[in-house]
Amino acid sequence: MTGTEIFKRTPAYEREARDIRLHAPQWKLLLAFDGQRTLAEVALSAEASFAEALPLTQKFLDQGWIEEQPITLDQYLKRSGAHDLSAVGGSVPPAVVLHQPRTAAPSAAPTAKPVNTPLPAPAAPAIVAPPPASIPAAATIPPPLPPLPVISKPVEPPLFAAAPTPEVKTAPVAPAAKAPHGPMKLNAVVDFITSLVGNISLGQLLVYRVFLRVPPDLLLAEDIASVHLVNDTSVIKSEKLQKAIASAVDAVTKRPLPDSVFAPA
Amino acid sequence: MPLHERDIYYFIDVTLTHLNKLTGNEIVLRDPTIEFQSLVFSAYTGLLHLKGGVDGFVYITASQQFLQFLFNARQSRGKATEEDCREAISDITATMAHQVLKKFGNTLRLSEPRIFSTVPDDPIEMPPAVFVQPILWRKEHAYIVLGLASAETS
Repeated sequence: MTGTEIFKRTPAYEREARDIRLHAPQWKLLLAFDGQRTLAEVALSAEASFAEALPLTQKFLDQGWIEEQPITLDQYLKRSGAHDLSAVGGSVPPAVVLHQPRTAAPSAAPTAKPVNTPLPAPAAPAIVAPPPASIPAAATIPPPLPPLPVISKPVEPPLFAAAPTPEVKTAPVAPAAKAPHGPMKLNAVVDFITSLVGNISLGQLLVYRVFLRVPPDLLLAEDIASVHLVNDTSVIKSEKLQKAIASAVDAVTKRPLPDSVFAPA
Repeated sequence: MPLHERDIYYFIDVTLTHLNKLTGNEIVLRDPTIEFQSLVFSAYTGLLHLKGGVDGFVYITASQQFLQFLFNARQSRGKATEEDCREAISDITATMAHQVLKKFGNTLRLSEPRIFSTVPDDPIEMPPAVFVQPILWRKEHAYIVLGLASAETS
């Protein structure tokens, strides 16, 4: 492990959480894996050195409590501080997973997500289980991230080139306008807001404050009657609602929503 | 000036602390949700209206079995009557009110606790969203629900 890997807690963890026995610092590290931050960042936030975090992370992986969160090329470039290829005229393959975890059985039936908040009826509260996760669980240690790609302006093809090389695309280059994005991922919005506060509970209340500013009718029109503050699987297609959420986030947190909250177009 | 999240969390924190004291730290927290359409009510509810640093309400609602377990943990064996259940939920709500008043003093005004079973006698206005913190004890559910008025954010 290099420290650049991103892990998230698994459905297996959610199932077993109540039976897991760990020391407090180990819990702190385990609960810090949020599918957003790198191992190094998580270790920092859990006040553990990388050397301390490494064997614990391996233990959590072996137990199946965390799994690697693959990221897209865009996300990788953003994290590594490199420029977006599209901005310099290169061609960007859509949603390339650079860091696909090796899985023992990727076709295995996904397990149900943790049982989440029911809306209780007085006598027998109904249990609502969100749909299963789409990312397979990592069974082994994933390979380290590849070296940082060197991004530069594309080389102009020679005037009398015998044959164009496959690397040099002659397709028209889109202007450096903002790339269109897909639907907004609600869990990414929640995780972003929560990550702004150093404490999960307070972060979740900050999310609540944000959603107090979002018109409920817009949410209900998108069939969102509730937001699960952990692993919500909803996506928001309505541009009006996306804007309302972005505006609420900006108003409450004074921070703009990152592009990573959007799925690729 | 709206209360900071840390202060708002205090409502939840004091309730959990009290419940953990009663249950020997057996309270388990489930993932919270934000609800936009409906309020959550279980068998018995203790509610406080809030005004001042924050406007809205906070309540705890619990299943009968949850309160039965509490009753057994605190008192003797036997089946809790409706009165016992009301007393148990009333005790939690009063503790919350006491602790909140102790911390916030005059900056926050609290209503008298309202105790009811199943659904409130008087309708409660649904704010734009409510924060629901589910808790679990011996496989029985209770919920701490926080509803802040939209004006609180302005």
